[in-house]
Amino acid sequence: MAYVATRGGERAMEQSQRLFRAEMGAITPERVAEVRAAMPYLVDRVMGEASLYDQDLAALALAQTGGELYEAILLLRAWRTTQPRLTVADPVTQEGLFTHRRISAAFKDIPGGQVLGPTLDYAHRILATEVLKGETHVPAPVEPASRPSPARQPSVAAWQADNDLLTAPEPDTATGNDIPDVTREPLMFPADRAHTLQSLARAETGGVLALGYAAQRGYGQAHPTVNELRLAEADVVVRHPRGTRFSAGRVKVSQAEVVSKQGEALGLGFSATLGWNEVKVIAAATLDLNSNGAPKGSATEEEFFLYHTEGVESSGFCIHFKLPHYVTFQSSLDAMRDAKAKRAARARHAEPAE
Amino acid sequence: MTPEPQELPERSHEELLGILARAEPERLKAFAEPLIAELPEIEVRENRTGLVMLPMRDTAQGRHFHLGEVLMSEARIAAGGLEGYGMRRGRDLEAAMAMALVDLAVALGVAHDRCAAFVTAEDLAQAEADRETLRRVEATRVDMETF
Repeated sequence: MAYVATRGGERAMEQSQRLFRAEMGAITPERVAEVRAAMPYLVDRVMGEASLYDQDLAALALAQTGGELYEAILLLRAWRTTQPRLTVADPVTQEGLFTHRRISAAFKDIPGGQVLGPTLDYAHRILATEVLKGETHVPAPVEPASRPSPARQPSVAAWQADNDLLTAPEPDTATGNDIPDVTREPLMFPADRAHTLQSLARAETGGVLALGYAAQRGYGQAHPTVNELRLAEADVVVRHPRGTRFSAGRVKVSQAEVVSKQGEALGLGFSATLGWNEVKVIAAATLDLNSNGAPKGSATEEEFFLYHTEGVESSGFCIHFKLPHYVTFQSSLDAMRDAKAKRAARARHAEPAE
Repeated sequence: MTPEPQELPERSHEELLGILARAEPERLKAFAEPLIAELPEIEVRENRTGLVMLPMRDTAQGRHFHLGEVLMSEARIAAGGLEGYGMRRGRDLEAAMAMALVDLAVALGVAHDRCAAFVTAEDLAQAEADRETLRRVEATRVDMETF
C-alpha cells in the first residue's frame, strides 16, 4: 500500500467534527447520568469491549460520541492508557460470584437450582408506542420473594466432575502479574489460553456473535448446549499495605459454559466478560468449544476468530479505507488503461489486411 | 518503634475494609472529616485514580485470565507510625481518602466507638440492600417440571 500526503482540508475537517457534534448538542452531567441510568446493558457492552469498568466513563463516552460504539470504545481504550495500573486483583471464582441469574440448558435440577434473574427471554416484544403519544410507560414492579436467593451458588462443572462427566481442571498457580496479558504482550499463535480468553472478553460483540453463530449453525465441529450461564457481581479483592485482602467493591460480570459430547466425556467451552452481555459470552464459549483442531481459516479457528473480533483494530482497518489512497488507486487505473491499450493494439495487429 | 495496629472489637480488618469500600460515599466523607482533628499530623502518600486488573478462573481448563481493568481510586496516608489505606471503585478521590482516614483512626485506636457504630450501620445498610436484591432474584426461581 502507498499513501500520499495531502493538504487543504483543515477547515473542512474542523467543521466536519463540529457538524457531527452539532447534532448531539451540549453534553451535560445530567445527560451522562441519564445514559448510565437508562441504558445499563449498553453501558455494560461498552465497558466489556473497552476492557475498562466504570459506568460513568462508559456513559460519558456514549454521550460524547452520540452512541457511535466503535468511537466510544476507542475513546475509553485511549483514556485507559492515561491511568497507572495499581495492582492485579485476586482471581474471581465462579463459586464466589454474587449471582443474579443462573440457568442451565443441560440439566434442569442443577445444585442450587435455576434463577432466571433479569431477562427479556420470555417477554412479548411489543413496542410501547403509547410513550410517543405522551404517555409514560411504567413497568410492573417485581414481587420479591419472602426469602432471599443464596448469594453464592455452586459450580455445575464441579458437580459434573464429581459425577465423572467432566475432568476437573488442575488449579492454576499463576496470579498477579504472572498471568499473561494481551494489553502488554503480543498475541501469538498458537495462543496462550489466558490470551485467548482475555481477547474474547474484550472482543466486539457483533463479531463474536457472527462467528459463534456460524459455528452453531454447523460450520463448527461441536453443537453447544449451555451448561451454565451466569450474570453476577464479582468482588475486586485487593491487598492492604499491611497484607489484609479485602473486597474494594463489586463489578458486574457475565460467564458462560457450553458443553458438547466429545467421545465418552463432555467437552466444555468457556467465556466471561465485564458487564452483563450473555449473547457475547455464549457465542464466545461456542468458539472456545470448537477451536481445538479447527481447520485453518475456518470461523472457529483461534487465529481467525481472535484477529477478526478485536473491535478497535477491525473497525480502524475498515475505516482507514476512507483515507486518501490516490496513489494506489491511480496506479490501478494506470494498469487498467495500459492493459486496455495493449489489448487494443493486439486487436489491431490481428485484423486481416484488406 | 512501629506501634501495633489496633482493630475494632468483633470486626476483622478484612470486614472493616470491605464495608468501607462499599459505604455510601457522602455518609463516609461526612463521618471521616471530623476525624482529621483527632489524628496526629497526617502525611498523604498517595491519592490517585488508577486501574486494577481483574483476573478470573476459567472453569473449563482452570486457567487464570484477565477479564479487564476496573477504575479505582486509592488513598494512602500515614500518622503516628501507621498507615491508613483506602481503595474504592470509581473516581471519587475524596471517598478513598475518607476510607483511609477511618482505617487509620481504627489502627491508632482513635474514636473506636464512633467508628464501630458507623461501620455497623453501613454493614446493616449493605446487608439489607443485598437481601432486597436477592429477594427479587428469588422471585425468578424456576420450579421446573418436564413432561
